[in-house]
Amino acid sequence: MSEVIVVTSGKGGVGKTTTTANIGTGLAKLGKKVVMIDTDTGLRNLDVVLGLENRIVYNLVDVVEGNCRIKQAMITDKRCPKLYLLPTAQTRDKSAITPEQMIKVLDELKEDPEEFDYIILDCPAGIEQGFQNAIAGADRALVVTTPEVSAIRDADRIVGLLDAHGLKDHEDLIVNRIRMDMVNRGEMMSIDDVNDILQLNVIGAVPDDENIVVATNKGQPLVGDDSLAGQAYMNICRRIIGEDVPFLDLNGKGGFFKKLSSLFKGK
Amino acid sequence: MNNSVVIKSNKHGITVVLDNRADFTTLKSCVEDKFRQSAAFFGNVDMALAFEGRPVTNEEQKELLDIIEKETSMNILCVMDNDENKDAAFVRAVHGSCIQEQTQTASDGLFYKGTLRSGQVLESETSIIVLGDVNPGGRIISKGNVIILGSLRGNVFAGANGDEHAFVVALEMNPMQIKIGDVIARSSDSAQTKKNKNKTVSPKISFVEDGNIYIEDLTSDILEDIRI
Repeated sequence: MSEVIVVTSGKGGVGKTTTTANIGTGLAKLGKKVVMIDTDTGLRNLDVVLGLENRIVYNLVDVVEGNCRIKQAMITDKRCPKLYLLPTAQTRDKSAITPEQMIKVLDELKEDPEEFDYIILDCPAGIEQGFQNAIAGADRALVVTTPEVSAIRDADRIVGLLDAHGLKDHEDLIVNRIRMDMVNRGEMMSIDDVNDILQLNVIGAVPDDENIVVATNKGQPLVGDDSLAGQAYMNICRRIIGEDVPFLDLNGKGGFFKKLSSLFKGK
Repeated sequence: MNNSVVIKSNKHGITVVLDNRADFTTLKSCVEDKFRQSAAFFGNVDMALAFEGRPVTNEEQKELLDIIEKETSMNILCVMDNDENKDAAFVRAVHGSCIQEQTQTASDGLFYKGTLRSGQVLESETSIIVLGDVNPGGRIISKGNVIILGSLRGNVFAGANGDEHAFVVALEMNPMQIKIGDVIARSSDSAQTKKNKNKTVSPKISFVEDGNIYIEDLTSDILEDIRI
């Protein structure tokens, strides 16, 4: 039975779509069969981040309106044959789909003979219809936030709504775009500071990495490569499938002085 | 003799006033006479009926009703009660549940387990005890006192019916706003981020004194002054 995971945040621009693209790709690289669904009708860009924009013929709205079969709207990823994208419409708005229709689509995918392991939903920002559609059929939620008060406030609101939706204790937290140099200087909230408020299971922290911008613009998720962010995303994927992975030292190269001090400590 | 029974009427019913001194047999014949005479006047209508002047037992009441129904074509829908004690009992029965609710006062308590997150509101007639945090954007409204066994970072309103003797206790007191009775206070504008980083936090209580809200450590002296 496939597990439906919604990636949500409340606030926009914290990295939901990037996270969805990387986790979807990462899970596929780990050998899982994955469908990603973009639920951000009217402002879709999961297809762009994956570099699959030119392949879209049918979309989610066509599926719920009966213009095509679900398989016709699903696009196979160009790198991973086990990864599929179900894009949404760009020329419509969120009201084109209802939560009931969303659940029906998910049920159809769950019963598919291909037996998908994971269905990952990219949730739009906000708490309106688009959000309601995205969480309607979810079994589990990944709450993405950045270490900023505004993003944390919105994430907190989202967790409250997810709790009310019956997803309590099925929520994991991803702290995105963390900059350890700033944290060490006391200029940015640490993961602990963030989770002091949200009190969720932290499933991963992703450093703010220039490579993300490059990868996004190229349409190639960087999950699994040598970059710190790529490793962090791969660790999240492995935690999702139940592996116990130690947390990455986000200080990374950590600078010359840190290495020096650890050298002295170790004698 | 004939005046031992008087019929009074209003728009929706009639009151039969019975002479307290006359015996019941006399009264019966009087009622019979009176209603026979006025049968044409009342006609064929739906009526409510009440007896006044002397107490009537259930049997007497039934006999009188039989007579009235025999002599007239009125349709007696119900017999009204004039007993004040009974009346009071009815009021109690009907409004009893409301009175019950009113007895649930500010000195009673409601427990809430969990974190109150942004956008969530917890409201109660009673005092509230939260086993968890109140996050920024969360809100508690209580007519009594509020005790938070966790971190208070949101808004809290104690003594919501104007009671300035209400108080708020939190293990970690870091509220956006506190309102007690009609007094309101907000957090200071100075940088909140790095506050109490290294300081060990202690439980605090906030209360109203001289029209201001004070936040103090939860010491035994302060607890002495609390009135519940």
